[in-house]
Amino acid sequence: MLRLAPHVLELDWADVESRIKHFIKNYVEKAEADGIVLGLSGGIDSSTVAALSALAIGGNKVLGLIMPEKETYNQEDIEDAKNVAEKYGIKTKIIDITAIIETIQKTIPEFDPNEKISKGNIKARTRMICLYYYANKHNLIVCGSSDKSEAMMGYFTKWGDVAADIAPIMDLYKTQVRKLAQYVGLPQRVINKPATPALWPGQKAEDELGLKYETLDLILYGLEHFMEIDEIANQLGIDKAVVQKVSSRLERMEHKRRMPITIKLQYRTIGMDFKLPQSI
Amino acid sequence: MNITKMEKYADEARKQEAELIIFPELSLTGYTLKDKVYELAETIPGPSTEKIARIAKENNLYIIFGAPELSEKAQAILYNTAVLVGPEGYIGKYRKMHLPNHSVFEEKRYFRPGYKTGVYKTRLGRIGLIICYDIFFPEITRLIRLEGADFTVCISASPSTRRSFFEILTAARAIENTMFLAYVNLVGIEEGLQFWGGSRLIAPNGNVIAKAPYYEESLTLGEIDYNEIRASEISAQMLKDLRPEIFLKLKEKSVEF
Repeated sequence: MLRLAPHVLELDWADVESRIKHFIKNYVEKAEADGIVLGLSGGIDSSTVAALSALAIGGNKVLGLIMPEKETYNQEDIEDAKNVAEKYGIKTKIIDITAIIETIQKTIPEFDPNEKISKGNIKARTRMICLYYYANKHNLIVCGSSDKSEAMMGYFTKWGDVAADIAPIMDLYKTQVRKLAQYVGLPQRVINKPATPALWPGQKAEDELGLKYETLDLILYGLEHFMEIDEIANQLGIDKAVVQKVSSRLERMEHKRRMPITIKLQYRTIGMDFKLPQSI
Repeated sequence: MNITKMEKYADEARKQEAELIIFPELSLTGYTLKDKVYELAETIPGPSTEKIARIAKENNLYIIFGAPELSEKAQAILYNTAVLVGPEGYIGKYRKMHLPNHSVFEEKRYFRPGYKTGVYKTRLGRIGLIICYDIFFPEITRLIRLEGADFTVCISASPSTRRSFFEILTAARAIENTMFLAYVNLVGIEEGLQFWGGSRLIAPNGNVIAKAPYYEESLTLGEIDYNEIRASEISAQMLKDLRPEIFLKLKEKSVEF
């Protein structure tokens, strides 16, 4: 019987680091790109992918965009982002996206400043636009920072912060990213910072998900390994309803992880049985 | 096709006085082909086999490689095949019998399973061919040993999450059959799958006598002295002691499972 305890999330961090770096380097080479562009928020995920990207292809080939906006502005996060960039020799550009967001808000008929989610998503999608501008202009690969916990919970903005060409830490749970970051040697401040997509002031991932990542990651690990909900709940000593909620959310969020779904009308259909290899 | 690269390695192998060069599973085309396999599959023998056979002749080498095979009797029925050519030309092939269709694998989607083993008598000895997932089935290596092979060649395209299994099973197959076993694995990253290399030549006592690096392309040489088999057979007598009636029971129980 699979035992759900923190040690199951332990990996050979040296091996993980090496393989992720190899993956990043290999992709940039195959894509014949001139480097990587990524969003730097000062948070654990983006700091970790920034460090790994720099270690893989050289900091001089990595461009970090720091994209604050008025409502969620946090000087410490910006300093953290700059410190990480400096440590790994990464170039940065600070783009205050407030004006872009405000223009969008003013232009959209019936914009509702009180509806948090639709308003917050504009920020994530605006950052995506900036990243892809630089990617297109300078032949760079957009490196995403979504992790496995977020990907499984659909805790990201559709076509927003998840949009990227590669997602090197998407197969690591949040608590594993923290361990990897520790191993790689990222600043402790960054490692300890509570996770947030910063779409509105005071937003905290663990508040929204209703669980600490230490617990959530073990639930997700159990679900990943086909464990029964009852068994997960028993082993972790938590309410079955909590586990059920996570399981339901995992399934409900599948639409966020795919190309738009269509109705099959012909011989081979994109997203279904039109299966071509991805050469890069 | 990877023929140019194979030719380069054959040339290098010849310079190092090798007599046999082994390439991984589906090395002719690459492993992650999905629907493109229909365009790339060829009959075996066929055009690419001819080209590789010519390379074998020019370099006075035996060559084993993997390729998607198109049935001669159909238009889109394919096999995952290991091919053996030598200085004398095309020698034989083996169609993979156990096709993985779980986790990241979808070989049953594209390939028909084989139904015959491939054991070939050559100037270099009696060589039996298996492919990748076949290593998880002791019965097939046992069978090719009983058909007279002294040397199993397992070509493979194994992604790194399976590495620890292969490192154990390849040694197990060599030991339990008191035979030499060469395991030749793909390297590179395809669709987020990292193929781990780590090719090796294993002696009848399970010792790894030659080993390629992990994760990098390389040419690694190993030497076989078939006389070693004699000493192993005397000290570990499985071929004498195996019980045929158990095989009958295995058949019965695997059908009614």
